[in-house]
Amino acid sequence: MATIATGLNIATQRVFVTSENRPVCLAGPVHLNNSWNLGSRTTNRMMKLQPIKAAPEGGISDVVEKSIKEAQETCAGDPVSGECVAAWDEVEELSAAASHARDKKKADGSDPLEEYCKDNPETNECRTYDN
Amino acid sequence: MAVSTIYSTQALNSTHFLTSSSSSKQVFLYRRQPQTNRRFNTLITCAQETIVIGLAADSGCGKSTFMRRLTSVFGGAAKPPKGGNPDSNTLISDTTTVICLDDYHSLDRYGRKEQKVTALDPRANDFDLMYEQVKALKNGIAVEKPIYNHVTGLLDPPELIQPPKILVIEGLHPMFDERVRDLLDFSIYLDISNEVKFAWKIQRDMAERGHSLESIKASIEARKPDFDAFIDPQKQYADAVIEVLPTTLIPDDNEGKVLRVRLIMKEGVKYFSPVYLFDEGSTISWIPCGRKLTCSYPGIKFNYEPDSYFDHEVSVLEMDGQFDRLDELIYVESHLSNLSTKFYGEVTQQMLKHADFPGSNNGTGLFQTIVGLKIRDLYEQLIANKATARAEAKA
Repeated sequence: MATIATGLNIATQRVFVTSENRPVCLAGPVHLNNSWNLGSRTTNRMMKLQPIKAAPEGGISDVVEKSIKEAQETCAGDPVSGECVAAWDEVEELSAAASHARDKKKADGSDPLEEYCKDNPETNECRTYDN
Repeated sequence: MAVSTIYSTQALNSTHFLTSSSSSKQVFLYRRQPQTNRRFNTLITCAQETIVIGLAADSGCGKSTFMRRLTSVFGGAAKPPKGGNPDSNTLISDTTTVICLDDYHSLDRYGRKEQKVTALDPRANDFDLMYEQVKALKNGIAVEKPIYNHVTGLLDPPELIQPPKILVIEGLHPMFDERVRDLLDFSIYLDISNEVKFAWKIQRDMAERGHSLESIKASIEARKPDFDAFIDPQKQYADAVIEVLPTTLIPDDNEGKVLRVRLIMKEGVKYFSPVYLFDEGSTISWIPCGRKLTCSYPGIKFNYEPDSYFDHEVSVLEMDGQFDRLDELIYVESHLSNLSTKFYGEVTQQMLKHADFPGSNNGTGLFQTIVGLKIRDLYEQLIANKATARAEAKA
């Protein structure tokens, strides 16, 4: 898996084609930048910088699938170990995120204009007239 | 001389203040009288009060049905912050801000893997920062809150949160840290039984490629020790607990479609009067199905009784089964008291308004709506009480 240097900011919103030949939109731009303005924080926190994995092909569904396989492999030996529990916790978190992404796509109706107009109702493109 | 005051909702949320006091804002108005050219200074103090509500739940942070019902009762739809991080977990409406406590993870996903801990473990959460920021918001001070990105598993740049009228902190640990617990004006624990949790996660996850019954079960079982150690004990501190259990109306039911929901309400909580059915403090068992309420199998059954919960006196209101027709809910509502409704039928109206929400035909929707009304009532009582206290202090 390719890694990207810390601090490099990539925001991407692309359409991926999954193995079922369905276009899958990411829930939103994926911000990979993990640096922020430390001066604005109210407390000092030691942040260990580490490489960031690139946005995977296929969106979050593939990430869920990978994490399930990884959890099953990690837990094959010792199902009550810390590694095993943390692995399944990741599955749970990613499954919830995937569920939210599905709900959001369903609610938005996959219409980019509606999504844009929700955030920018005052623009010319989004004006509607009752008469 | 009467002076009219015009200010927008945004002004009420402003953090700008003219005095050192952080709990009040002062607006200077100038009025020119037509007869004379003298100007009068009128001083009006607008008090910005924030109440803090804690909601403990296993998952579904920030986007849950409960949050949407709650913010609907308070007025306005809650939405992610405009122009902000699209992966933000925060929801904001005119009166309410919902903060996801996952944003106070001290370890991101990769840190947790390295440390071999789950997100439920207190070692993966920064309770010092959580306490400082919730306290600041309660005192009317804006904060730069971190954002935990559930998609990438990393901590994103922070977002600015303005103090709202009602602040809801939702997540795994709203009542875990004693300092945070003491900041809460009201707290709720969603207690989902293992059977219902399993059924709901099947419904959620079987649509996802890679998941199976085995993986869902393994995921729940792996998290259970940490859940029992760090999450479940919080329910002893909750002012209200919503217990979701399988129905007892269908023998040996294992589908999880029909639910029995119990609303456990603590007695003696300030500004909170428990809801009751028929007579306060009595013991009621009621099957409302008949001419006024249409029911199909397995029907509906209500229970109401005083009880003890973790050595605390409580009132328990229970609904088993589901409604066939939501408009007939008014009949049930008319037999409940202390609902804190502003008009007859407000509960039914709220339920009909969100008939498409999950759980609208069972006790989860009904009790979530009722809790929303109680929180609104608590907010109004608290504001009125503080206004009275300030008036007395001036005298």
